Amino acid sequence: MRHAVREFPLSPRFVEGGSMSSVLSQAIVELEPQRVATLVGERLEAGHDPLQVLAECRQGMAIVGERFQSGEYFLSELLLSAEIFKDAVRILEPYLAKSGPPEPAGAVVLATLKGDIHDLGKNILATLLRAHGFVVHDLGVNVPPAVVVDKVRETRPDLVGFSALITTAFESMREAAGLLEQAGLRDGVKLMVGGGVTTPAVKQFVGADFQSTDASAGVAYCLSVVGGQASHAC
Amino acid sequence: MRAESMTCDERFTTAVRLGKPDRVPVVPTLQAEGAAGYTGLSMAAVAGDNQMVVKTMFEVFDDCGGWDNPYPCAATPLQLQVTGSHPMLVRIPGRDLADDEPFQLEEREILRLEDYDTICEIGFEKFFFDDYLWRITDITPDLLPTELAEAVSGLARFAAGCSQRGVTPYFLGAASHPFFTLSLTRSMTPFTQDLYYRPELVERALERMTADLIERQLPLIRSSGVDRWLFTEERASGFFYPPTVFERFWWPYTRRVVEACWSEGIVTIFHLDQCWDRNLKYFRDLPAGSAILEFDGLTDMRRARELLGGHLCIKGDVPATLLAIGTPEEVSAYCRSLIDDVGRDGGFILGTGCCVPPNVRPENFRAMIQTAKSHELA
Repeated sequence: MRHAVREFPLSPRFVEGGSMSSVLSQAIVELEPQRVATLVGERLEAGHDPLQVLAECRQGMAIVGERFQSGEYFLSELLLSAEIFKDAVRILEPYLAKSGPPEPAGAVVLATLKGDIHDLGKNILATLLRAHGFVVHDLGVNVPPAVVVDKVRETRPDLVGFSALITTAFESMREAAGLLEQAGLRDGVKLMVGGGVTTPAVKQFVGADFQSTDASAGVAYCLSVVGGQASHAC
Repeated sequence: MRAESMTCDERFTTAVRLGKPDRVPVVPTLQAEGAAGYTGLSMAAVAGDNQMVVKTMFEVFDDCGGWDNPYPCAATPLQLQVTGSHPMLVRIPGRDLADDEPFQLEEREILRLEDYDTICEIGFEKFFFDDYLWRITDITPDLLPTELAEAVSGLARFAAGCSQRGVTPYFLGAASHPFFTLSLTRSMTPFTQDLYYRPELVERALERMTADLIERQLPLIRSSGVDRWLFTEERASGFFYPPTVFERFWWPYTRRVVEACWSEGIVTIFHLDQCWDRNLKYFRDLPAGSAILEFDGLTDMRRARELLGGHLCIKGDVPATLLAIGTPEEVSAYCRSLIDDVGRDGGFILGTGCCVPPNVRPENFRAMIQTAKSHELA
């Protein structure tokens, strides 16, 4: 059964199949939560490999990301697809636990630092990165810089990302970057800053390697750091 | 400093009417946190005392030699919450946060799906005071009248401070767009799901809220004695939503509100955060001179002038980030460039990109005010 979104004339793009490789991928691209949940359930019930099902979900997310990059999709559609993907992963998790976790594309530590409790942008980035096969260690909001250092020491990620919606978080970002440097951990990671108030000047102020206000651009940067495309094969 | 040939009111009115004033008017969005940051007060000092808020704002105003129209700055975070300006959970410095941290709004899914029906039935304002407020606030109902009365007194003190200095408040009446109110109270993801998957429910609520807004707001603006009001929207632009959503859920309601106000000569000040580049063209359909569009540093101001110059007054957009970590020279260069490119033919007000940040460098803020006062319009 088609979801109500089909009755809402967003644009003809929803009926353009493009390069979609499966009905499941397409249902994600068309932002149909109930249909995705049904398809995932049916596939698992029929004994399909959960890693393959996950890969198809990720492929749908990759197409959403491409459409966002091209301006065809908007942040709202990125947000909705991320929710659909999260729900699909929730259904898949018990099956994935049995079959063994997929090989990660890379690891990222994310945080909104002390002085800021906004997390919408960070949460979108976390979901998109997971959809691209990254392991994401999300430390939450109002995080003391020292906690970031501990997590980096423990997990040795490829990247660290700080999100901010208010300017008072800049000092915390700079402090965290300095603590990573002091701990000898800075050279082993790429440091990203993002969020509505960040600019190239903030990147320089913090001493970061990358800055963006666009979660999708953040994903592209993470992929470039770990060597290209996400592992769709898992 | 250049000699001025207009009063603040004449200068402001000339710009709103799309004319070229003696110099560009300057109206920064200075609120309690920016004022505290400028004067070196803790955030906690202005979070619990609205007399301190007003006093601190005018300290900054006087220290800078004044500016054209002060932005209302007269409430504590708690008062902003109970009056419905910030209909969200609030974390307050000195209570929930360290003394030196600015107050913060916590976004949670507080408005439930079934509440849409209640809003349609009894209106948002009654729903807010009967039910919703008690899901977000820590105060008990017996304290509400005191807080509301204090919010009104604060605004009166602010207006008196303006009067003593011979300036007119930028506005005195304000409201959030119904779309923005629903997004804040439902929180962004559930609200977006409602827009896509339960559109009729949202539309019905927007209809009711828009009608109520017009009915409630017009008498309030008239009685304020200032013939303009602030209409805030931070989440409807093309940064977030495609044109189909904008055209269905935002623009028709917006137009209705602006036209109702304009029919009584009231100018709507849009506070438009995030990037509105994709939506600018719609504003051409509003009556000429009926609105001021405030941008926050993320919309292309030059593009806005190209599309709307000579039709609506444009205001902005010295970024908060520049005021926080830039230098006075950089701020001044930004302002000069903006005045030259966007304000050269008039119809422009120099403002901050959203608010003056709590970690503003005072010398940067002074540079902004002084550049507006001294830079010659081409």
